[in-house]
Amino acid sequence: VAVLTPGPAVHAARSLEEAVVLLSDPAGDVAALAGGTWIMRAPLRDERRHALYVSLRGVPELRACELGGGVAVLGALLTHAELAALDGAPAALRSLVEAAGRSAFPAVRTVATLGGNVCSPFPEADLVPALLAAGAELNVAGPDGGRTVDLAGFLEGTRRGPGDVVVAARVPVPAGRRSAFERLTVRGSGEYAIASVAVSADLDDDGAIVAARVAYGGVETTARRSSAAEAALRGGVPTAEAGYAAGRAAAADLTAREGLDAPGWYRLEVLPALTRTAVARLADPDGRGEA
Amino acid sequence: VSYLIEVNGSRRQVAGSGLTPLSAVLRDELGLLGTKVACGEGRCGSCTVLVDGAPVASCLYPLALADGRSVTTIEGVGDGDELTPLQRALVEGGGVQCGLCTPGMVMSLTALLAVDRRPGEQDVREALGGNVCRCTGYQKIVEAALAADGADRA
Repeated sequence: VAVLTPGPAVHAARSLEEAVVLLSDPAGDVAALAGGTWIMRAPLRDERRHALYVSLRGVPELRACELGGGVAVLGALLTHAELAALDGAPAALRSLVEAAGRSAFPAVRTVATLGGNVCSPFPEADLVPALLAAGAELNVAGPDGGRTVDLAGFLEGTRRGPGDVVVAARVPVPAGRRSAFERLTVRGSGEYAIASVAVSADLDDDGAIVAARVAYGGVETTARRSSAAEAALRGGVPTAEAGYAAGRAAAADLTAREGLDAPGWYRLEVLPALTRTAVARLADPDGRGEA
Repeated sequence: VSYLIEVNGSRRQVAGSGLTPLSAVLRDELGLLGTKVACGEGRCGSCTVLVDGAPVASCLYPLALADGRSVTTIEGVGDGDELTPLQRALVEGGGVQCGLCTPGMVMSLTALLAVDRRPGEQDVREALGGNVCRCTGYQKIVEAALAADGADRA
């Protein structure tokens, strides 16, 4: 038996109830572990690690993947690779599928989970803007039982408490809803996005935008929707020009963070072009647009 | 706590923190030095191994998640000293220079070829998106991967 140097303990929860009990222990120095790609880099961020991690890997409720019935239920343990491989997903989910498939690298996408992206929402987490634009809610299990939580409130921390385990994202998938995701990186593949945009829009029979949700990642500390960009799109048609105008509105609406990868002003400068590309792709039912 | 992992077909028992990186288990405890650790933060690909056939960055992969799973490292690719067609193509096509990235490249491409025996150039480049090479400029590696596919079918 090889014996390794000491470090945090990992307990594999056998049920959702057990995970909630362990994670809600007021005296416990404890956190949840899914794929671990964020937690494993805690020392690189000079973050203190907890004494105990509760692995959710063996909790079956977290692996749901239901696409039918008007609301998609996507389990927290679904990996980016699994989300990217959702063939035949409705157009409302296309933004999420694209975000998953373009995030990080193949050897990270096989491990990093939806739940991890939502619970450790670093600025560039790609699934977060896609879920926000999709109007997702979270199924959360906590000490007082299960509940459905607004995603933005969960991200802010106002709707999140000790012992909470994200079980799944609930994503409405009505007919007529289209979506697209775009991101800008320094290199052609992988890496964290300097800025990303997810657009989800409901079109009427004439192709006009009845309602739009536009969310940006990478720009602020946590991804968020831009009501200014959404207002700019409402009532129009999804053209490149409309997208550019919406991106300009977003640049005036958001407050960009500084970073080693890009200064704040640059993140805002690229939003019109990024949003233009994403919105123009909504006009194409297949969502691919021009390469 | 001890964990049971199958490494290159052998069952290995490892005791220690469940957050120990799999790369450290492989290199420091099991003596499998073919897996390289360069960046240590999951963005260079040199530590890529297969877990149940899927490529993972072993520097970010906690030991606890490997429990009960099957791990393949570069030492487990090929049959003894016999290279796979992919490895031969890399050697013969000049796809290996300093060699630091090579094990990770081989693991990423081995995973690709296992699910797609006839990948196109774009598939190969996508599969290598997380593998950084500072010597060859990638072209010969991509060509080797495409040639390996042909050799494999011959």
